[in-house]
Amino acid sequence: MRAAWRVARAAVRRRRLQTIVIGVVVGVSTATMVLALALLTMAAAPFDRAYAQQSGAHLVAGFDSAVVSDVELTRAADRPSVEAVAGPFGQVTLHDPTSDTMFLPPTMTTVGRADPGGPVDRVTVWQGRWATGPGEIVLNRTPGQFDGVAEGARITVSGGQVFTVVGLGDSVSASADAWVTPDQLTAIGQTDTQMLYRFTHAATAAEVGAGQAAVTAGLPSAALLGAQSYLALRQEVTSELGVYIPFLVVFGFLGLAVAVLIVANVISGAVVAGFRNIGVLKALGFTPNQVMAVYLVMVTVPSVIGCVLGTVLGNVVARPLLTDAFEGFGATDLGIDVWVDVVALLGMPVLVGLAALVSALRARRLSAAAAISAGSAPRVGRALVVQRWLSGIRLPRSVSLGLGIPFARPARSALTLAAVVLGVMTVTLALGVTMSVTAYRNAVDPPVADRVQVMAGGGGPGPAAPVAPDSGPQNSGPPDSGPPRLTDDEDEALLRSLPDATHVVAVSRQSVRTVGGNQSVGVSFYRGDTAGLAPRVLKGHWPDGAGQVAAPSRFLNRRGLAVGDTFTVEMGENRAQVRIVGISLTNSPNEIFADWDTLEVLAPDARADSYLVQLAPGSDQRAYIDGVEAGDPGLAATVATEGTSSQAVVLISTATLLTVILGVVAALGVFNTVVLNARERRRDLGMLKSIGMTPRQVTVMMVTSMGALGVLGGVVGVPLGVVAHKLVGPAMLRAAQADVLDIVINVYRAPMLVLLAVAGVVIAMLGAFIPARSAARTPIAEVLHNE
Amino acid sequence: MTSAEVVRLTGVRKEYSDSVALDGVSLEIHAGEAVAVMGPSGSGKSTLLNMVAGLDRPTEGSVVVHGDDLGKLNETGLALFRRRRIGMIFQFFNLLDDLPALDNVALAAQLTGSSAAQARKRALELLGELGIAGRKNIYPAQLSGGERQRVAVARALMNRPALLLADEPTGALDSRSGEQVMDLLLDLNQIGQTLLLVTHDERLATRCASRLVEVVDGRVARETALERTP
Repeated sequence: MRAAWRVARAAVRRRRLQTIVIGVVVGVSTATMVLALALLTMAAAPFDRAYAQQSGAHLVAGFDSAVVSDVELTRAADRPSVEAVAGPFGQVTLHDPTSDTMFLPPTMTTVGRADPGGPVDRVTVWQGRWATGPGEIVLNRTPGQFDGVAEGARITVSGGQVFTVVGLGDSVSASADAWVTPDQLTAIGQTDTQMLYRFTHAATAAEVGAGQAAVTAGLPSAALLGAQSYLALRQEVTSELGVYIPFLVVFGFLGLAVAVLIVANVISGAVVAGFRNIGVLKALGFTPNQVMAVYLVMVTVPSVIGCVLGTVLGNVVARPLLTDAFEGFGATDLGIDVWVDVVALLGMPVLVGLAALVSALRARRLSAAAAISAGSAPRVGRALVVQRWLSGIRLPRSVSLGLGIPFARPARSALTLAAVVLGVMTVTLALGVTMSVTAYRNAVDPPVADRVQVMAGGGGPGPAAPVAPDSGPQNSGPPDSGPPRLTDDEDEALLRSLPDATHVVAVSRQSVRTVGGNQSVGVSFYRGDTAGLAPRVLKGHWPDGAGQVAAPSRFLNRRGLAVGDTFTVEMGENRAQVRIVGISLTNSPNEIFADWDTLEVLAPDARADSYLVQLAPGSDQRAYIDGVEAGDPGLAATVATEGTSSQAVVLISTATLLTVILGVVAALGVFNTVVLNARERRRDLGMLKSIGMTPRQVTVMMVTSMGALGVLGGVVGVPLGVVAHKLVGPAMLRAAQADVLDIVINVYRAPMLVLLAVAGVVIAMLGAFIPARSAARTPIAEVLHNE
Repeated sequence: MTSAEVVRLTGVRKEYSDSVALDGVSLEIHAGEAVAVMGPSGSGKSTLLNMVAGLDRPTEGSVVVHGDDLGKLNETGLALFRRRRIGMIFQFFNLLDDLPALDNVALAAQLTGSSAAQARKRALELLGELGIAGRKNIYPAQLSGGERQRVAVARALMNRPALLLADEPTGALDSRSGEQVMDLLLDLNQIGQTLLLVTHDERLATRCASRLVEVVDGRVARETALERTP
């Protein structure tokens, strides 16, 4: 075996290009495999993983401090069904928090915790630090959420207390809106006590219910104020962010398929290309097993190196990608499971070995004479009818010769074609997803060219805006702007009177409660030119009188409501029955829209807290803003900006990255095929050049050979990509509890499909060009005299 | 270069990294001549042929063929030169296995832009002249060695070259096929085709060539006018 090892080592060294190609292809394919497996793993249960990472609470319970003591709560939690417990923690509800730099909910559940760790609900502090002294507060925010919250912001609550935000934490258990030190909480005045439980069995609502019953057994009946099961939270979070999952799963499988195909193609090609050497070795006395061993070693050495490097690369690439895609679920510091690396490190060499073995077994069976003559002695051609036909067609001969090359190695061509098909399919799907996301965003938040947003901070009665919109400036007026100097009507008149204003709406965002359901709902009341500036209505009509509302499907689906249904809302002492008259093209589960007349019933003294102004195209927005602030210094005007959805950004960037990776892998497959074809056809290339084929014609011939596969790949890959999009798109929308809209699903247009089909040609040509150029430089004399 | 000169090599030297293949070779070949280059293995005769065919470039000296100074041509220029000015025959035929005899021959014309129909018509004429028109649809693997070399000769003649280069044209043939090829080359020369043969085969040289150039250690050791033997 020593001789076999020596020959194999020599082959690895001598065939540098082939060795490098194998190493690179296996490396990139392994990285793709790691990424694909990591995506599939994470996509399987992102919430559960995040929950496990933080040791999330199965039950978050609030108790009345006046009714039950900490000792009683601790004793009650000592049950066999309780796996872990955290608390008791002091809890209080802060009312009417305001800040100059961000929207805040009308109330904030605030808990006193000395540190973010513990056996249950280990809060991830992803920005700043934990609260350690008086006046410090940590807000609960999901990483990547762009809502203007920042370290150093100051929050004033009812009663005049002021807190400084020292950190942003993320609790998957959603155990609080904010945390302060226990001493600070005592100083505020504790009203409730929070307990966090993990149960030994909590897979179903019944099991969580049983756990809750166990930990509250023996406590005074009025002790428990409320409890939140993690199952409800999972439902909520999954519907918010589950939109990624169908997309990521499809990309994961595509990545795996491309990686496997390319490796099989490269390895089998490398062995086939070495048939002649196999014959020489046999002639020298190498046994069939030794020959097989030589070739297995020859491909295994670069493959193992490529595999190790690819695994490292996959980890490096996957970490930020997974973080972007899944941090919204609460998972942080996302790594790759060890088993993924193990599967890649073991699986890829096994795949390489199998691919090599199939070809090596063929080589093993070949007689020495047949193997030696491979590539030099004339052989019976393949697909002769096609070659003959191509000889006679009206195309430049270099093109028709190139078109015939794939038929000479049908299996190799089929594998290459499959990789190109998957590459085109990926591009088509990724572009479709990007366009769908864009179409959805444009539908929900139409482009806002020539618009000015005007904030009237310190508005009328009721809490500040309870629902942060997805777009527009996220402030309620600049610091020190103070309240508006003019009345609501005067401000609207001012905005209409300034030059270039064409349409104006006034908006008041208020929090109301639904009678019966006892739920808090955000309502945006509109006044003015709603036709062009209010959200679009998908079905029915925009509210045009008192007692009418429009709501998004997600709101209706959650509550089992439909257009035509009525419900009652109350605000302070006032109530109004409202009828659903339209479905708005928005996707908030808790925000609906109503006409100003309804606000007159619920809060007659309320004023607009913001205005949206449409200016004439091309007008001077800066001059308009200056005019607004001069007319009423209490107004803060800014240029309305496009909505920046973190989901949209992540989806589009993920799609782009995955497309590039899979496109590169597919192009590498083509590259390898051309390298092998050129190597096998050295004699033919030399002959063609000897009879006058120019270097350009050689390049054209070799590029055409793959271009043909590219065209076919485009023709097959585009419909497959469109079909995948038809499946993935609606699944994503359903995961987001959004309506499956035609404008979001039917995004492809005929010219675009043609261009997408060209993607196959581009992938093929990119992969083919360099080795084709290299083939064009083949030294003729050496080839023709030595073969 | 006189109008009768087809090839002129002047002080051609060719160095490889560790050896000198040609060392100051000068040679002229006139139209209608049949020149045989002989010499031991490694003497530089194949390198000499490569220089004339534009398959390789000299380190020093100049190679002019049919008025083209090959040293001044880029790769594309050399390809066009080979296409228009020369035809080549190889020891191992170098036919495309995937194409039948007719299309192998037609290929040379198709590269120049001729239509498939025109190229096939001319190819069929040549195959007929070489006596293998009946084998036009046969693929190389099913042809005998002699037949393959005739196909290769037909391909070499396809674009009516000024110079026919043959590198060991009988080296891979049995004696009967070799005889046929020799007759073919002789016939071609007798109708005016200029030939440059590189061979080990003294019989081929004496039968087909009008002049013998002997190359030893990269130099022209001797030039001899030959009386062709039947």
